[in-house]
Amino acid sequence: MKALLYRIIFLSTLALAFDQDATYLVLNHFDKPLPDIDQTLIDNFNNSSFSFDRSVDTLFDDLDEDDNPASKYMIDIKDFGETHRVNYVLFNKIKHIGDRLIIEGMLFNTRSGGLIHRRKINVQNYDNASVNELRLWVGETKNQIQKEWEKERESIMFLNPEEISYEKTPMGAALRSLAVPGWGQAYSGNSLSAGLWAVLELSLSLAFISSYNNYDSSSKSYLQNRKLYDATDDEKEVSAYRSSAEKDWNDHVMYSKLAIALASTTITGWVSNSVHAWVFGPRPYTNIYQKGIPQSTIPKG
Amino acid sequence: MRILSGVIVSSFAVLTLCACTIYDKIFDNPIDFKANEDIGIDAPTLVFYPKSQTLIQTDSILVGSFIVFKEDSTEPFSGLHLKIEFPNDLIELDTILPGQFITDTSQSTPLFTYTYDDGNSVDIYAYFLGTTKLDIDGTGHLADLVFSPLATGSDSINYDMSECTFIDHQDQEINIEGIRGAEIIIE
Repeated sequence: MKALLYRIIFLSTLALAFDQDATYLVLNHFDKPLPDIDQTLIDNFNNSSFSFDRSVDTLFDDLDEDDNPASKYMIDIKDFGETHRVNYVLFNKIKHIGDRLIIEGMLFNTRSGGLIHRRKINVQNYDNASVNELRLWVGETKNQIQKEWEKERESIMFLNPEEISYEKTPMGAALRSLAVPGWGQAYSGNSLSAGLWAVLELSLSLAFISSYNNYDSSSKSYLQNRKLYDATDDEKEVSAYRSSAEKDWNDHVMYSKLAIALASTTITGWVSNSVHAWVFGPRPYTNIYQKGIPQSTIPKG
Repeated sequence: MRILSGVIVSSFAVLTLCACTIYDKIFDNPIDFKANEDIGIDAPTLVFYPKSQTLIQTDSILVGSFIVFKEDSTEPFSGLHLKIEFPNDLIELDTILPGQFITDTSQSTPLFTYTYDDGNSVDIYAYFLGTTKLDIDGTGHLADLVFSPLATGSDSINYDMSECTFIDHQDQEINIEGIRGAEIIIE
């Protein structure tokens, strides 16, 4: 109930903020061309007037780095307002990273120069939906959302994100790496890391096995030489067997220490590999933003 | 795969535990002057080999008598007298044979004799009387003593150090610094 009240107040404020004769300067920055997008906005919001400018390039890229992003470009926005004689500046940015679509929208008031509304969408496999998302974004700022736009979004988007069961999880990666070093990293799609862990653990394991074999052979040799040493009454043989047995004894102590150190390192590395797989395991790319819940990045207008 | 992993980790643990075993560094052959020094007996030393033996009543007991020198400080000797004491209630003397150290010198055969009066000790004498070989030096086998068991039990054979003598070809006595006995167990 409280959430509904906040929503009503929020939308009412927006509605008051954008009167029917509002004029907009639209700055579109898309990494792939969207044919007829300008005309789409004009056609869908015919009670507003839009002008378009693609000359502004790098502005707004570093907004998040500023302590006070809402007022960072106050002077520039006011200049835009005076130059283009508009009430608002609407900045839209679309970027594709692999199969991921990132849409960012910002609305500035040219009278104050401040950022009054902001939206970020970061989704995967959301093809052919950029135009609809832009319509929804502008419609939301003007409180003019049409049902078919929402239905189009609902037909694509998963509406219950809390019910999403992830095919790959950090725990799955950790358990796989605990089973076979590097498997969890490979499962997370990090082939380089997987290879490095596998090679490291394999090398340590081989070094341990080699040390153990040396320990085992020197132990057996020590026992054999000591037996021969005890069994002879020939002075020269006694001396020779003793020398051999002493060398074997020193070797078996050294290889024992080495084998224990390598075993400890291998086990520690194995567990670290599993922890690494968990820490860098597959997780959602970003949070899932639900419509209607204000985000902390949205400045109060 | 997890079973395989468990097997691998368990194998690691078992091998690591095995690798923790450090054997005791024990060298105690009476012929080894270093082993004798480790237990506080200096060379030259009169010893028996083996230092201990366990037998049954029907067995013969063969005990070798040895002189052990440090390898870098041997002294040549030409004559010796050994007085060996043994428990005559447990074993009886059967045979005494000269050791290889004395007899394998093909150039001269020493005088080797012993006196035994049915008591608990035997005196052994050996002398080099030749002109081509006056003496021998180093660690070596002096005599073999063969005993027969009389009863079951355990006791030891020992040298009487005060009576044992080694001399060089100029009749100068060579000091014996220590002795080691031998243990006999008859079951």
